[in-house]
Amino acid sequence: MKYMINETTKGKTVLVIEDEQPLLNVIKTKLEKNSFVVTTARTILQALNYLKKAGSVDAIWLDHYLLGKEDGLDFVTELKSHEGQWKKIPIFVISNTASPDNIKSYIRLGISKYFVKNEYQLDNIVAEIKSFLENLKE
Amino acid sequence: MSKKTIISRPYKKAFKLKVLAKKKENIRRKLVVTAKKLSLKAKQLAVIAKEKESVRRKLVVTDKNLKFKAKQLALTDENLEQIKAKDEAIISSIGDGLMVIDKNSNIVLVNKAFEKILGWKIKEVQGKSLFKIVPTVDSAGKNIAESKRLVTKTLKEHTTTTAIVSYLRKDRSLLPVVLTVSPIIVKGNFIGAVEVFRDVTKEKEIDKAKTEFVSLASHQLRTPLTTVSWYSEMLLAGDVGKLTPDQNKYLEEIYKGNKRMIALVNTLLNVSRLELGTSLVEPEPTDIIALAKNVVVEQKLKIEEKKLIITQKFSTAVPIFSADPKLLRMVFQNLLTNAINYTPEGGKITIEIALSAERSKILIKISDTGYGIPENQQDKIFTKLFRADNVRDKDTEGTGLGLYIVKSIIEDSKGKIWFESEENKGTTFFITLPLKGMKKNKGTKNLS
Repeated sequence: MKYMINETTKGKTVLVIEDEQPLLNVIKTKLEKNSFVVTTARTILQALNYLKKAGSVDAIWLDHYLLGKEDGLDFVTELKSHEGQWKKIPIFVISNTASPDNIKSYIRLGISKYFVKNEYQLDNIVAEIKSFLENLKE
Repeated sequence: MSKKTIISRPYKKAFKLKVLAKKKENIRRKLVVTAKKLSLKAKQLAVIAKEKESVRRKLVVTDKNLKFKAKQLALTDENLEQIKAKDEAIISSIGDGLMVIDKNSNIVLVNKAFEKILGWKIKEVQGKSLFKIVPTVDSAGKNIAESKRLVTKTLKEHTTTTAIVSYLRKDRSLLPVVLTVSPIIVKGNFIGAVEVFRDVTKEKEIDKAKTEFVSLASHQLRTPLTTVSWYSEMLLAGDVGKLTPDQNKYLEEIYKGNKRMIALVNTLLNVSRLELGTSLVEPEPTDIIALAKNVVVEQKLKIEEKKLIITQKFSTAVPIFSADPKLLRMVFQNLLTNAINYTPEGGKITIEIALSAERSKILIKISDTGYGIPENQQDKIFTKLFRADNVRDKDTEGTGLGLYIVKSIIEDSKGKIWFESEENKGTTFFITLPLKGMKKNKGTKNLS
């Protein structure tokens, strides 16, 4: 596959929060092939620690069920109630299982888009994230 | 001495004797009359005596009868006492809570289960208003107004209804219950109502457990499928090196097999949710014709590939009605893809939507000129995982669950589905749906 280097999204940082290691690896590889700079986390705690250190990211890839006590909803709630930049980070929830009540809660909290893992090719999700970020710029 | 004197003495004596004799005779006659009268009176007294004796005898019999009746009444009384005691014992020991109210919704009677479940004693609630003693709360935790309670409906309309709500106990703790309210009608007169309720805490917990199970199964089954899917995708895209044509071919099969697995897992999860009753039905005003048109557009590629001719006949009389569009979409998708998959190239498919003559139902018809369903297998077509023999070879992809799901959705919506089919000629599916729409179901999971 030929990857076009998109100037607007080149070098953009993505934080991928996913508990399945094999999926984490393949998501990271795919995103890097699309010129993203990727950091991974498997728990909410890890993700928050990274954000505190890095200050912010350009986009977040979030699964709903994670290792540890807290889940994706807790994370989004935390970010959206933050005073600083974190509120504005586009969050993409990619999960196999969130129930319709959870999906409604995510949307109400203001995530950018929800994907059901099994219904999408990895390529397509990445393409949508890319075009979303491009449109943000405009 | 004078003549007078010589004559009169014996004459006077004789005269006196005559008078006496007459008097005696009179007396004798009077005595005879009196004797006759006495004899008559004696006869009369004898008759009276007989009557008295007869009455006395009757009184004895009556006395016996009365004593017998008194005994019987005593037994009946005992029986009634027993029956009353039994009835009270029955009402008392009914495991479900029971309360009887009068026309003004004041509590007349409650049973032991009521006391136990809600924490009130009979003495504390008798005569008091039902609404004050047992407030009800809906699933969102809001108090249900008096006017909206089932009891009010029954008191007004004299109908029996059931609902699931939560009661507030005496200590204000919540208790989920299923309750039935029925009117009490005695000789045609409405005198009050009976509310019977059952604690469904356990059932709710089981329901929650079922939902969590489906959710967990969903996650556990889908995650490895995603892994296979995305890794195959990367390999096929050449992201980890170039593939030989054979390697490509083999990987395509892996990817295709995995896609079928994903579809099957999705369908099985939908079936699970339908069967466990945990699927969410969210009705909203739906334009069924727009929905059907949209489903046809989705399948455009496959239709063109197989050079199929699709005819759409949609009546303009069909109004917007209350339905869950997600579920309706699944119905159309299933029936249309079946028609497409099981009709050979160049065949014809027709979709019709119209209103019934009485304007109370929506009629849907989807027909094709395809392989049809063999007559000896038609009775199984709606059963789970069943696929007719004549299509199993031609198309390996069907799950055998689509029609089962469609039938479940239609029947849950109080509609009907049936079909006519002839092998190698074609099949037509008929659906009717009531215009008054789908009922909202507070399930916990969406069908995907």
